[in-house]
Amino acid sequence: MRAAGAVDVAGHASETTLAPEKVEVQKGWGGQSVPRREDKRLLRGEGVFVDDVKRHGMGYLHFVRSPYAHAHITRVDVSAAEALEGVYGTLTGEEVAALTEPFFQISSAPGSQLKDYALAVGKVRYVGEPVVAVVAETRELARDASELVEVEYDPLPAVVDARRALEPDAPVLHEEAGGNLMWQGLYSWGDLDAAFAEADRVIEIPELHFHRFNSTPLECDGALVEYNRGVGQWTIHCNNQFPGFAAIMMGPAMRVGLDKLRFVTQDIGGGFGNKITSHPQLVVCCLLARKLNRPIQWTEWRTDFHLSMSHCNERWFRDTQVAVKEDGTLLGFRTKTLDDAGAWLRYEPLGGVIWAQVTPGMYRWRHIEVEFTQVVTNKAPASPNRGYSRMQHLWFTERVIDIVAHELGLDPVEVRKRNYIRADEMPYETPNGCVYDSGDYARMLDLALELVDYGSIPQRRAEARARGKLLGVGIGSTLDSGTNNFGQSRLINPDLQFSGNNEVATVKLDIFGEIVVTLGTTPQGQGHETTAAQVVADILHCPLEDVHVRAGHDSYWNSHAGFSGTYASQFAVTGLGAVKGATEMLAAEIKKLAAAVFQCPEEALELADGGVRIKDNPDAFLPFMACGAIVNANNAGLPEDLDVSLNCRYVYRPPFQLPDLERKYGNLTLTYAVQIHVAVIEIDPDTGYYEIVDYAAVDECGKRINPQIIEGQVMGATAQAIGAAMWEAYEYDEDGNLLTPNFYDYHVPHALDMPPLHTAAIECPSPFTPLGTKGMGEGGGAGIHAICAALQDATGVVVTDSHNPYQRVWRLLQEGAR
Amino acid sequence: MLLREVEYAKPASLAEALELLAANDGARALAGGQTLINVMKARAASPDLLVDLHGLEELRGIELAADGTLTIGAMTTYSELIRSAEAKARPILGEVCAQIADVQVRNRGTVGGNVCSNDPTNHLPPLMVAIGARMTIAGPGGEREVPAEEFFLGVYMTAVGPGELLTRITVPAGRKDGFASVTLGADGTCICNAAATVNGAVRVALGCVDAVPVLVSAASPDEVAAAVRAAGLTPPADVHASSEYRAHLAEVLASRAAREAAER
Amino acid sequence: MQIRVTVNGTTYERDVEPRKLLIHFLRDDLDLTGSHIGCDTGNCGACSVIVDGVLLKSCMLLAVQADGANVETVEGLAADEELTPLQRSFNEHHALQCGYCTPGMLMSATALLRENPSPSEAEIEKALQGNICRCTGYWNIVEAVKAVTR
Repeated sequence: MRAAGAVDVAGHASETTLAPEKVEVQKGWGGQSVPRREDKRLLRGEGVFVDDVKRHGMGYLHFVRSPYAHAHITRVDVSAAEALEGVYGTLTGEEVAALTEPFFQISSAPGSQLKDYALAVGKVRYVGEPVVAVVAETRELARDASELVEVEYDPLPAVVDARRALEPDAPVLHEEAGGNLMWQGLYSWGDLDAAFAEADRVIEIPELHFHRFNSTPLECDGALVEYNRGVGQWTIHCNNQFPGFAAIMMGPAMRVGLDKLRFVTQDIGGGFGNKITSHPQLVVCCLLARKLNRPIQWTEWRTDFHLSMSHCNERWFRDTQVAVKEDGTLLGFRTKTLDDAGAWLRYEPLGGVIWAQVTPGMYRWRHIEVEFTQVVTNKAPASPNRGYSRMQHLWFTERVIDIVAHELGLDPVEVRKRNYIRADEMPYETPNGCVYDSGDYARMLDLALELVDYGSIPQRRAEARARGKLLGVGIGSTLDSGTNNFGQSRLINPDLQFSGNNEVATVKLDIFGEIVVTLGTTPQGQGHETTAAQVVADILHCPLEDVHVRAGHDSYWNSHAGFSGTYASQFAVTGLGAVKGATEMLAAEIKKLAAAVFQCPEEALELADGGVRIKDNPDAFLPFMACGAIVNANNAGLPEDLDVSLNCRYVYRPPFQLPDLERKYGNLTLTYAVQIHVAVIEIDPDTGYYEIVDYAAVDECGKRINPQIIEGQVMGATAQAIGAAMWEAYEYDEDGNLLTPNFYDYHVPHALDMPPLHTAAIECPSPFTPLGTKGMGEGGGAGIHAICAALQDATGVVVTDSHNPYQRVWRLLQEGAR
Repeated sequence: MLLREVEYAKPASLAEALELLAANDGARALAGGQTLINVMKARAASPDLLVDLHGLEELRGIELAADGTLTIGAMTTYSELIRSAEAKARPILGEVCAQIADVQVRNRGTVGGNVCSNDPTNHLPPLMVAIGARMTIAGPGGEREVPAEEFFLGVYMTAVGPGELLTRITVPAGRKDGFASVTLGADGTCICNAAATVNGAVRVALGCVDAVPVLVSAASPDEVAAAVRAAGLTPPADVHASSEYRAHLAEVLASRAAREAAER
Repeated sequence: MQIRVTVNGTTYERDVEPRKLLIHFLRDDLDLTGSHIGCDTGNCGACSVIVDGVLLKSCMLLAVQADGANVETVEGLAADEELTPLQRSFNEHHALQCGYCTPGMLMSATALLRENPSPSEAEIEKALQGNICRCTGYWNIVEAVKAVTR
């Protein structure tokens, strides 16, 4: 089932992605598939996930959640719950409204008007919305007590389909906003009139739909919050993957300075973007820790996660018009995008601009217009999910390519090759001023097709037909734009004061010469401890095992900045950029110190064998242990002007400008990793049931520090995309009840569901990053694009929905037969 | 995820178990727990007393009689049945059990639990109906046997009444059986299923299309589809299948199960 | 109710409510936090342990039902500071990323290899079917198990 080969830029197949190398110091760690150091504790069950953290006297928290999609709250009575022995206390929306400010809204009007609190105040707006929090001595008691909380509701009609949200009689979720419209923007680049005039054909696509799902990390959200009354400071043990964002949302809401919020994470059981917006629940925990004067423990139930957390942006692309030439050259497109934010704007409406990082997809058309409208509905709030907002847009561009090919009777491979941005055009400036750093899409497509033995498809199609099956093959090409320029947020709201990006690392030599690395990131399985050590060891020329990287994140390490966290495919650029910067600072200080000790110029020195020595006289050698000891404990006699601490903190800052708000133009992302997938499927035409019988994934992410870790990300993204395409959807009934609230009905792929997988990789180093790396990991939904394309190929019917369960495929076949 | 308060008893004999069930209105038998514990986690049902059947030897074991009749204890786990040499006399039993969920569930879940919970998406109710199994129910008045066709009464409801227990399932001899299903992914939640037996004519039991398995017969596998259509099914609609799609699947799967049975 | 449970060779006597699930007993009462909880419907397998030699999901067993039983969890696989060959194989094959499903995967693989030291790839997948992973896509996990088959 696994057949993989990595192919380097020169075209030689190698196996570095699979075979663990026997590693030696001299070779250099970059490019080595070093087995992960994180694994030992995780394999032994000694990881520390948030529910593993315990504190004496802690109270367990259970949320009472709304059973209605839309209702006024007319009465809340916690007295019976509080009377139960073992219950420590409760928190209601009324208290939250008194104790906190509403959360800061990213949006300009009308979305800016939302009054978002940590618990529902006055009204509930989606099934599962937290209304009251109950804390008790045991988990079971908290759960029991929650049933004694009395909440009375006055139900209201619900709006569930975003396409209805702007109708004049649609129920309004937030009266303060005057309607369900949250944000709207018109993006227009190039000359559409000219493009459509030049076109041989205008292909019209009435409606394309990208569905609602997410990555269901196996560990749900959680926290253990302690309050230090004496200094008014909270320690928030949690698994939030973007503490920088949580802090700036929570601090002002709680009317406290950010230094009063200490975030501590260690092992996180998957994030995929879905652990960014837990700040409302964290505020509840903080308020209760203070109110009840005891640590508060909260672990989200799986059903509650499905009901309430981080659904991806459901998006319609309507009235799409594509200007094309007869030979398949794409000139431009216009489309009207309708985006469903769910009941609250938690990270939205950033999705309204983040797609623009990949405006043209992978294609060279220059004339593009997107009218973007975001509305609220009575469903779980949307927030980032793996591929956030770019995935939806790239799915759209891939659908367009295949639909154009279908309409013109052209080969989808040829249409892609005709329109792909070419390797010799890199770096490539897109119509809206983003710069694709590097890539060779055509070559990757060839590799992917080779991996599935594309030439044999006609024969396999015939053979499948003889068995009564319909075979289809489809391509999904995609980008992982990484390292955001947060200045793009000003295209959503010009009053926002965010721009650029950053990440921090601190590298120090301790008194015994121990090299200690502290990251600002919050990894959830991406192997930061291992890859950071590789980079450090290469710069310091020391044994890999001498580099100690602290596990997880702690605000009190003071090794983080405003944008710190692990999200949006950026660690290899921002995190490792910070590591590189801090290590180089440290290396320079070591040399400075040695120069003072040896009384020689710094240029005469080199780092080697875990120390520093004079190049021409290697016996003059100062091991790191000596360096650390001198500075930390034995510094008498050092020159007065020697400015060396051996504790180096570096803030990596990518080179960004503020975008031009008028033209909506500018570089929004630093790097663009690429994935091209090919899926081969077989459909059972009598039932619509289908399987993936062959699959290829080719990726490119600049210089690869640890190829095995990278390939792991590619595989994981592939599996999630397959799940989303075939089985995973958050479907609601017309009353706003979630029909897929658990793993029975929301089927995620299991081991038997996975297809045979072939992988390959090429390297096109980024010219813009400290190490030539590109951020990667999200995967851009390539599997969804490829499966849609394969279904279209097999059925001969245009596929317009990203989610294609068996029933929909059967309907496609019925349609095709008519 | 957290159960309401409940009492627990582990009787050592069938008689003791029946006494406990009869004496307590809110008592429920606990077999494998692969369904009941989840129901209790969701607090969709909260018995006052769980009567754990794991101590009852009378409910265990698989016997193969000389005439090919199989007697399967209600507490037989799916894994035990799959491994059982005796059960190979009717291979469809192990084949279908091997498609249920996963090995952890199969190691603990029981055939008795599967039929007694009568979730419309379970595999064993239609299978038992198709192969003409007989269910032995023990109660205060003694034992009685109910044919599978009459055992399933409604969603989650069977002929096992309060104070009673299913003790064994008796399966007649035979090998010409078939089973077909469409599930969410491999061995996942079932969208539609059908079990068939050929014994002269074809007997097909459809699952997932009604509160209880629906039995249709036809003279030959080729006539099964028409028989299913003639049954005038109006299956429930849910997030995975409209009524129309489910009815169509029933037709297709019934024919496939029938053909498989005929070709054995 | 008073129960006596042996876990990884150590016998514990505790008083528990009948309603307490085995997974909560292991994690909260015995501080054995290696086994995890990933769902509330018995689907995900993160809680998989071996009880009297049988692999099962500890979220669907009451602690009182483990009275007198021998329970094996991930913490009991390796002795001292070592990793077992199976655990080393997971490391070499990058068969874990976030590590949350890993204890359950290890228990399922351990149970498989005890019963069948030479499983085919399909048998490995079938044996791991009850363990959800969202990070790896399973391919590397299957390879890791394959690598320690005889």
